[in-house]
Amino acid sequence: MPNVQANDVFRQQLLGAIPRLRRYARSLVFDAAAADDLVQTTLERALAHWHQFDQRRDLLVWVLSIAHNAHMDQRRRDSRVSVVDPERASAEQDAIAADPGVDIGLRLDLINALARLSVEQREPLLLVSVEQLTYAECAEVLRIPVGTVMSRVSRARVALRQWLDGSVRPTSNLRSLRRVV
Amino acid sequence: MNMDTQRPDDELISAWLDGEVEGADGERVQAWLRDHPDDAARVRLWAADRDALRARMASVLDEPVPERLSQAVWRRSGGSSGVRGAWLQAAMAAGLLLAGALFGAAWVRGTPGELRLSSAPRWTQRAAVAHAVYAPEVRHPVEVNVREGDAAQQREQEQHLSRWLTRRVSVPVKLFDLREQGFELVGGRLLPDGAGPSAQLMYQDGAGQRVTIYLRKADQDTPAAFRFERQGDLGLFYWVEGDCGFALVGPQSRERLLALAQSIYQQDQRTASAPSR
Repeated sequence: MPNVQANDVFRQQLLGAIPRLRRYARSLVFDAAAADDLVQTTLERALAHWHQFDQRRDLLVWVLSIAHNAHMDQRRRDSRVSVVDPERASAEQDAIAADPGVDIGLRLDLINALARLSVEQREPLLLVSVEQLTYAECAEVLRIPVGTVMSRVSRARVALRQWLDGSVRPTSNLRSLRRVV
Repeated sequence: MNMDTQRPDDELISAWLDGEVEGADGERVQAWLRDHPDDAARVRLWAADRDALRARMASVLDEPVPERLSQAVWRRSGGSSGVRGAWLQAAMAAGLLLAGALFGAAWVRGTPGELRLSSAPRWTQRAAVAHAVYAPEVRHPVEVNVREGDAAQQREQEQHLSRWLTRRVSVPVKLFDLREQGFELVGGRLLPDGAGPSAQLMYQDGAGQRVTIYLRKADQDTPAAFRFERQGDLGLFYWVEGDCGFALVGPQSRERLLALAQSIYQQDQRTASAPSR
């Protein structure tokens, strides 16, 4: 008899993956509520396709690839809306600035610079830097060749640095970005 | 002369920074950076950006998981058979062994209609930190050492340890027997936890590898289920049984830790159902 319901062990594993899924989603879309929406979509898809998951594989890599697909679908649907809502990005900056233990000068710019990267560069950079995936795992998540991961991570680093070195007035840049989008 | 050395491109240098380049290419990158301080400075900035990104996002892991997300995981589409029946069926269909039975049983019993879930609670981080601090200690790994002296003294120390920790932590602290898994009890200590004290029991195998069991009075928001997570090099199984939160911490493989956790869980069950001696 086919088993349509995900078993509890799988659900447990999925539950364990939530914190890292949330971190990835947050780094991708910045806004906490929007990021959790993405996580929820990811969890629902994972449960719907749980029988496709090969237990010998790393669940996190599998769910991250689902999150990537869900994010891309969402972008296609909302092609009108910019991924980085400038107001939310500002609110985010305020929150960071209010955190006393943080190097404000660096990190204000960091989020701004990150937001400016194309999603094609941002995703591999985050997967490798923050999620600490190997290039092979990152390639699996994004379904691109390892060589492409390598070049995109490298270009993302260079671009991020250019923004960090050159962005004197990040907020005004964000505004102009909004107009373009 | 270095002038003949071909400059490694950004892709190679960046991949090297991510630990993806080894062998001759890796040496070439290292040699180049050694001789070219400008490029080395650039790579240091990349590394700083990477670390800053990591640090910036780290706090998300500590946030409690919103209820709607944990509920999404446990929501069942259609089907109205009881949880236990559905689980048994699923477990059998998937050919699950004892691990599944343990997860499932702990879970089913821990769900009185409503699910209490959160992300890895902070106390498990304290358990991991406590392990990291005391497990490498050579001379003073524990406060009460049960391996000193002759057999009678050891026995006395064991009883003292169990009584003392039970009194201070306000949950029954049993000294689990993990010899079947190759681990001998070293002893235990009292530690500060969130609201009150917690206990740490330390075990050691023949090779000197240690695991610790962290016990504390359970919070309301601690998940009842059996869960596993990694904190750096350490693996951590944690669960709640009755009033007591357990965290098993060690550098061992997940499978080895699971076997230990199962043994602890079963011994706890046995003593819980039998009158204490």
